[in-house]
Amino acid sequence: MYEANIRAPLVKGNKTYHQITEDICKPLETKPGLWWYITLFLSLCALAIGSWALYVTLNDGLGVWGLNNTVGWGWGIINFVWWIGIGHAGTAFSIFLLILGQKWRTSINRAAEAMTVVAVMCAGVFPIIHMGRPIIGFFVFPYPNDRGPLWINFNSALTWDVAAIPTYLMASAMFFYIGMIPDLATIRDRTTSKVKKAIFSFFSFGWVGSSRDWLRFETLSWLLAGLMAALVVSVHSIVAMDFASSILPGWHTTIFPPYFVVGAILSGFSMVLTLMIIIRKIYKFQDYVTDSHINAICKILVFISLIMGTAYTTELFITWYSGNEYEMFTFFHNRVTGEYNSAFWIMIFSNAIIPQLFWFKKIRKKLFIVFLISILINVGMWFERYVIVITSLTKDLLPSNWADYSPTKVEIGIFIGTLGFFVMCLLLFFKYLPMIAISEVKGVLRSNNNKNLKRKIS
Amino acid sequence: MNPHIIGIFEEEEELISALNIIRNKNIEITEVFTPYPIHEVIKIMKRKTKLQIATFLYAAFGLVLSYVFIYWTSVISYPLTYGGKPYHAIPSFIIICFVTTICVAILLSVITFFIRSRLYPGKTPTIIDHRITDNAFVILINIQPETPSDEIETINSLLMKNGAVEVIEK
Repeated sequence: MYEANIRAPLVKGNKTYHQITEDICKPLETKPGLWWYITLFLSLCALAIGSWALYVTLNDGLGVWGLNNTVGWGWGIINFVWWIGIGHAGTAFSIFLLILGQKWRTSINRAAEAMTVVAVMCAGVFPIIHMGRPIIGFFVFPYPNDRGPLWINFNSALTWDVAAIPTYLMASAMFFYIGMIPDLATIRDRTTSKVKKAIFSFFSFGWVGSSRDWLRFETLSWLLAGLMAALVVSVHSIVAMDFASSILPGWHTTIFPPYFVVGAILSGFSMVLTLMIIIRKIYKFQDYVTDSHINAICKILVFISLIMGTAYTTELFITWYSGNEYEMFTFFHNRVTGEYNSAFWIMIFSNAIIPQLFWFKKIRKKLFIVFLISILINVGMWFERYVIVITSLTKDLLPSNWADYSPTKVEIGIFIGTLGFFVMCLLLFFKYLPMIAISEVKGVLRSNNNKNLKRKIS
Repeated sequence: MNPHIIGIFEEEEELISALNIIRNKNIEITEVFTPYPIHEVIKIMKRKTKLQIATFLYAAFGLVLSYVFIYWTSVISYPLTYGGKPYHAIPSFIIICFVTTICVAILLSVITFFIRSRLYPGKTPTIIDHRITDNAFVILINIQPETPSDEIETINSLLMKNGAVEVIEK
């Protein structure tokens, strides 16, 4: 489809293969600008705050969080789901588009995959510290023990999470790394620094790009993509079932698994967009991340946002249609109009309404507005999780149980820490690894360059 | 390395046409190195892989392994009723078996890939030309001691005639 004549070329500027290598390797070979050091410093500060908060949590226990008997899941779980969502769509972007044969993924997939790995690591922190005593966290794994042996409950969605999230982290890290091996070899072969050569030689696994290697490499990429596409869908469905398999009004719905998966893709795609706009601007990669790339992501976002809007409306409709008074209370009195209504409306506006602006070509062309909307979607997705977790928990079936919740500075600190970690890892990625898949971009250069287009038209 | 001739090309199309011509002359091409995967090259070189079959078998193994393990823990080793479900609660075993199947399949496939391709951390690569990971498409033809010199000449001229920017004999 993308090869149609009306489509813009995937790589602009009539690049040669060597120029592509030069352009993409440039950030690795030059000193980063002042902005890089400043942002690194800020992210390290955020990480320091997070480390302090983590230390306090581990030292004093979960009592330092704003949780109580009623609201047992607070910011910890909200942030877990938020990060997992971001982490999902990064690879989903790379994998779904690979399976669908979308060649325009090539300039973006590497950054999306890197984002995924880091985001899943950030997400992983929360369930571990939420256990209260992480030192005995290994209890969640089935291992022979002298208590029977008493095995874990394989009927619980939380146990499925234990299997799914490490699998996802492992798989996405492998997909990211294996995809990068040919590019690491490129850097190995062009660098003049001995230290760099030794390091990249070690990590490029002796890659030389023979036809045999490429065949296996491509086959493995497709196999991993096929398996991971199923995994991506199942992992976020399982996270949704952590909620849906309870009997709490607002959680106990069958719409949750698809709704969570789509939500994850929305937040991930918008994070990819945020990241690509930054990369494009700072590293002047306009020839690789072209306007039509941004345009395509925006169009996908409109579509996903429509599904999200439908999901929100369906939830409200089914609540009314079921006639269940507890559900009616949770949705109409607690979410739409209650004390947390601002969170609900931020969610609706940012995820379902604002992205509809992408219908207009003028908006899609204004990068600054696109950037703002992508940030707004991420904020909206955070509030979605906030609405789900907090409104349902604070007011459950028994009014005598009702309790308020607000996060303490320790919880906020941990969240800031994960943001710092995310930014820090991405900065290191920008500086030390090729942020665009060199070999893949070369692969699409001839299939879709200007010359080719001209030939087709004539 | 064995004595060999390498032809360096700068364009994908030229490489492919040269490959076809050399193949038709019944000259054995040892290997082709490219900076990115080219399907035609893989086809011309008649490269085949059974990795997908291996992955399928690994997945089947993973499925059996996880199901048997969960069945053994939940029904035989320590039967315990959870939420009134039977010990052998198939629907709630499906998802975890699905995930562990994928886990086993991915892990073993990746290991197989590295073993079969003989790629490992720290391996010293045999680099034919340092441009193969940048912009060079290289045809490598090994020469046997008994190869007559006029055949070597033919190979050299074939490569040159069909678009090679450089032909090196080592």
